[in-house]
Amino acid sequence: MTVVLGAGVDESVISVLPARGAQRKRRRGLRVLMFPITFAIVAALWEGYKVVGPQNGGKILGWKLLPRAGSREMPHVWDMVSRLTRPENGPNSQTIGIVVAKAAFYSFRVALLAFVLGVVIGMVLAILMTRFKFFERALMPYLVISQTVPIVGIAPVLVFILAAWSRNLGDQKWIAASLLGAFLAFFPITIGGLRGLKSASPESIELMDSYAASWWMTLVKLRLPSAAPYLAPAMRVAGAAAVVGVVVSEISVKINQGIGELVALYGQQATNDPAKLFTAVFGAAILGLVMSALVASMEKLMLRSRPVTA
Amino acid sequence: MSAVEVAQVSKVFNLGTADQVDALVDIDLTVEQGEFVSLIGPSGCGKSTLLRLIADLIEPTSGTVLMNAKPAHQARLDQDYGMAFQQSGLFEWRNVQKNIELPLELKGWDKPTRRARSLEMLELVKLGQFAKHMPWQLSGGMQQRVAIARSLAANPPLLLMDEPFGALDEMTREHMQTELLRIRKETGTTIIFVTHSIPEAVYLSDRVVVMSPRPGRITAVVDVVLGSDRTEDTREDEQFYDRITEVREALRGAEMGSAPLGIEDR
Ligand SMILES: Nc1ncnc2c1ncn2[C@@H]1O[C@H](COP(=O)(O)OP(=O)(O)O)[C@@H](O)[C@H]1O
Ligand SMILES: [Mg+2]
Repeated sequence: MTVVLGAGVDESVISVLPARGAQRKRRRGLRVLMFPITFAIVAALWEGYKVVGPQNGGKILGWKLLPRAGSREMPHVWDMVSRLTRPENGPNSQTIGIVVAKAAFYSFRVALLAFVLGVVIGMVLAILMTRFKFFERALMPYLVISQTVPIVGIAPVLVFILAAWSRNLGDQKWIAASLLGAFLAFFPITIGGLRGLKSASPESIELMDSYAASWWMTLVKLRLPSAAPYLAPAMRVAGAAAVVGVVVSEISVKINQGIGELVALYGQQATNDPAKLFTAVFGAAILGLVMSALVASMEKLMLRSRPVTA
Repeated sequence: MSAVEVAQVSKVFNLGTADQVDALVDIDLTVEQGEFVSLIGPSGCGKSTLLRLIADLIEPTSGTVLMNAKPAHQARLDQDYGMAFQQSGLFEWRNVQKNIELPLELKGWDKPTRRARSLEMLELVKLGQFAKHMPWQLSGGMQQRVAIARSLAANPPLLLMDEPFGALDEMTREHMQTELLRIRKETGTTIIFVTHSIPEAVYLSDRVVVMSPRPGRITAVVDVVLGSDRTEDTREDEQFYDRITEVREALRGAEMGSAPLGIEDR
């Protein structure tokens, strides 16, 4: 329930808007329904195209744009779903649903670590750059360049370095995947964090100065809370970046417990078993969804009790 | 011992560069204990700069600022003053009570003492019901009252205010002025108040300090002899209008005949 106060000499007039709570509840209900609805629409479009689309692909204005609608290229949605319940390879192997879920969970843990690392590294850099101007000027160009480095190429190098550094680490290829996820995730956090830390108004900084507050106290009591609205969207980007970094690294260095490598592997088997590939794609999609749901709830926690704008 | 003693203070911004600004030149100002002094003058005459010098938020290019015979820097470290700005500057992520407790947290007060003190301050500004409200749920006038409560929470002997009612509508503004006088009487706080409204300066102050720009300096000091019991009726008083005229003429004199810019004449 939100209370809105009218200005005026007396200022004791309080008008209450009880409609807000009900409205919000209805909106939440809608959001929960959103996912199955979207899924149904996508499935319907998929199947619809299979009915009307050309079996051997087609051209638009001379460009070969329309995909083939055959069951080899576009298996039926129900085939993909039922494939999840059947064994992966031979009759004695595990159901593919379990294999995919395990792989997705494995990658999720690695990506979560990547995300956390990215947020920590990103924030530390943002704080250092806010504290020391020269640090920002010296480091920022390199940070920007760092994001253009192709991680597919870096991943094997990193595994090699880890192996050279310590023999035990050499087997732990997931560390490389996690580091590369963090490598992509830290950047939006640094940029968003930097803007957010600088967003505190000059008056509020002066207010803290007037209390003779230390730089550290000003950071904790003013700059960090001011940064929260900037960090929230940065975290969303970082969450997605962590997932991408991890999945791509998994493929690059063949971490076969992960969902990335599973997609690559099933891709090779797609000619014989096209539905199989899509089960792994489901897994990767769900991994992304869970990550963004997690980040969204963190965001909500961070921005609770803020004004209801937007 | 004077509450504030500004002696021969000058402030030059960007000294020796192309955009050098002589913000203040040769300022002498003494404010006695319990006095209410307003600084008035057109935009850019250095009112905020003078206030920030007293607050030790910036350092004078030359001259000295003393607060209770202490250097301004020491006074800041000891939190001997509170401040309020045009924007209430409340932290939107803290509720009203937590906002008021901010200076107390920084002073290291324990939680129960902070709680008790912030509730006391909320009673002082007549917002006892609103302790748990968020700032954005309050009107501009109420936010400004919370800001005043915050500035007085640590019980400083001096309050520095920079156009605190500048963003409020006229009705709220007059109401806040009366409230400020009441609070001042209850707490005995010395107040230095920046404004560019002549009636506001006259209604509130014991003395009005008139300033002029380029370079910023004090051109006149008007004694407002309206007594200490001012009510809404004071605004109708003939004496009140006489003082307004006196301040207006002092401002005109400062501008050397031309109409003062940026001064509210209402
Ligand atoms: N930090 C600063 N750097 C450079 N010039 C400044 C700074 N602060 C104020 N000034 C200049 O000093 C003069 C006085 O400003 P200020 O004290 O804000 O005036 P007022 O509050 O009376 O409107 C203005 O010319 C302003 O541009
Ligand atoms: Mg000003």
